[in-house]
Amino acid sequence: MHNQYNTITKMKTETLSTEPLPAGEEANVTRWNEYRGRYLDWCIVGFCIMGAAIVGITVLAIANITMTELADPAHLLKVAASSEVIGSILLTFGAGASAVILLILFGTPLAYVLARARPSRLKGAVESIVDIPLILPHTVAGLLVYLLFMRRGWLGAPLSEIGLAFEDALPGTIIAMLFVASPFYVNSMREGFEKVPVHLENVARTLGAGTFTAFWTVTLPLSLRHMYSGAILAWGRAIGEFAGVIMIAYYPFIISTLIYYSFTTDGIHTSRSIAFTVILVSFGVFYLLRRMTRYLGRYDDRV
Amino acid sequence: MIEFDRVSLALGSFRLNDVSLRIGKGDYYFIVGPSGAGKTVLLEAIAGLHRPESGRVLLRGEEITALPPEMRKVALVYQDYSLFPNMRVIENVSYGLRVQGMRKKEARAEVAPLLERFGIAHLANRYPGTLSGGEQQRVALARAVAVKPDILLLDEPLSALDPVTQEKFIADLKRLHREDGLTVVQVSHSRREAHLLATWMAVIIDGALVDEGEAGVVLNAPRSREVASFVGVENILDGTVTANEDGLATVDVGGLVFEAVTDAAAGEEVTLCIRADDVVLAVGNDRRTSARNRMSRTVVSVAENGPVAEVRVDAGVMLTAVLTRRSVQELGLVPGASVTLSVKATAIHVIHSSS
Repeated sequence: MHNQYNTITKMKTETLSTEPLPAGEEANVTRWNEYRGRYLDWCIVGFCIMGAAIVGITVLAIANITMTELADPAHLLKVAASSEVIGSILLTFGAGASAVILLILFGTPLAYVLARARPSRLKGAVESIVDIPLILPHTVAGLLVYLLFMRRGWLGAPLSEIGLAFEDALPGTIIAMLFVASPFYVNSMREGFEKVPVHLENVARTLGAGTFTAFWTVTLPLSLRHMYSGAILAWGRAIGEFAGVIMIAYYPFIISTLIYYSFTTDGIHTSRSIAFTVILVSFGVFYLLRRMTRYLGRYDDRV
Repeated sequence: MIEFDRVSLALGSFRLNDVSLRIGKGDYYFIVGPSGAGKTVLLEAIAGLHRPESGRVLLRGEEITALPPEMRKVALVYQDYSLFPNMRVIENVSYGLRVQGMRKKEARAEVAPLLERFGIAHLANRYPGTLSGGEQQRVALARAVAVKPDILLLDEPLSALDPVTQEKFIADLKRLHREDGLTVVQVSHSRREAHLLATWMAVIIDGALVDEGEAGVVLNAPRSREVASFVGVENILDGTVTANEDGLATVDVGGLVFEAVTDAAAGEEVTLCIRADDVVLAVGNDRRTSARNRMSRTVVSVAENGPVAEVRVDAGVMLTAVLTRRSVQELGLVPGASVTLSVKATAIHVIHSSS
């Protein structure tokens, strides 16, 4: 990106200058770059100023909370180290991870079928159904999950018979997270499968591999990167869910519920410290996960 | 060995209509046709990747219409090679043996001679993305041969290679067919490849099989005008039979009269096919020859192509002859030169227009 920008700038100064630059003279290019201000593109400058408003909100908000929190590090440490906060963060991340594992197990086959099915009305219908959680308000999504999995619900009733309760219980948290995060995973995975040429599977099969073996040895390894990024997206969506989760499982407190609870009971002081802790942990975790992506599925590019 | 009995199937915009063909053991079977004719679909159908809508597929007399590809012992090599990008060359080549249950060590030992034979042993630990087109092609072929298939299916294997690599690869294929006795089915739109390799041939146009038979017969005595123009018969002339005496017919082609061997009766519309190789040109005093068709005409153009030259002669209709360049020089053939053109009556293949 950066290189491209440099080249464009150089090209521009060259065209505009009355005395074209002698090619390959770095010193001259530098000198011309110093005068770049003369040729400001006001359109791009305007766009940058408008765009800065968006970026600015995020930067200001984070700067704001950082400054206030760092002013009282003792309180921050006390809140961050409390077993309630640590437990809630672990619970949220764990529930999100469980939802993602379920998605990988059940969403991957669905994504494969969608990627390989020929266009048809049925396929279109299934694709729309997959996307439904995306367009619903979160409270509506939560209510749907609640109605289905509550103790008297269609699925909740038989499952509570075998001792699986969803209301105000961890399974409820997980199922709500799974519901809202599913489109992110399934769509990303499907995109990955679509990129793997059918020819590769055909060859594998003529060499003696069954459909599943061809999928397992060829298609899936070539889609690992999509699986990974889809899982991260879905996980991020899952741990951020609030409205959907509280409809079915107000308890145990996931981190969003805990912050909301302490905001409405203890006031701003405690909730702000919890929020800041979450920001730090989330940044750390997502940074690590993104770093790991680089080492995964490096064959994707060659497909 | 494998037989298609009136097979029809539709796939997107492609359609195979009522295709019947028989591929014998040890054949080098060519499926030729213009692009988009459904050749690849036909190949995939032989591999079992598409289930026919109607018709039967037989293998050694047994019906295998519903047999999945992994049970057919038919290996497929695509035009784009389709190497598994996530596996090294050695893993690609041993893939078939591995998925059929062989242990990694044994499989690798088993394919080692193959790597040597195809000259890719030094590439064993490389990933396909780092190989040249010719190398990828050899890996793809080794991978297909490694499972010892009954039939090897090749989808335009030469089209993406440069001429030098093509020659090497044609030699590899010949060796596989002759020495290993492998049955090969190759899809191609190149007549040259068909000349060099094919023993049997099928011509497929718009999803229908329009000609099938021994390669030499299809190439030199095509069944229809369409096939003739596709297999590259240089001189295709439409005319009417004016008389037929004991199988030697006189055919009028726009005022030009040819004698040809055919059972077509007087009054019948026919198409004459004359290979440019069979057109003989002579200059100067008329010498007696056995060629039944002779005419003195003017050279229109001379196009040299390697050791040979294509000479076009205006005989009312345009006729093309292929001569060695040396002949062209010795006869002094240049545009405008007068020549005597002769074609043996037996060298003319006659197609009944109704067929």
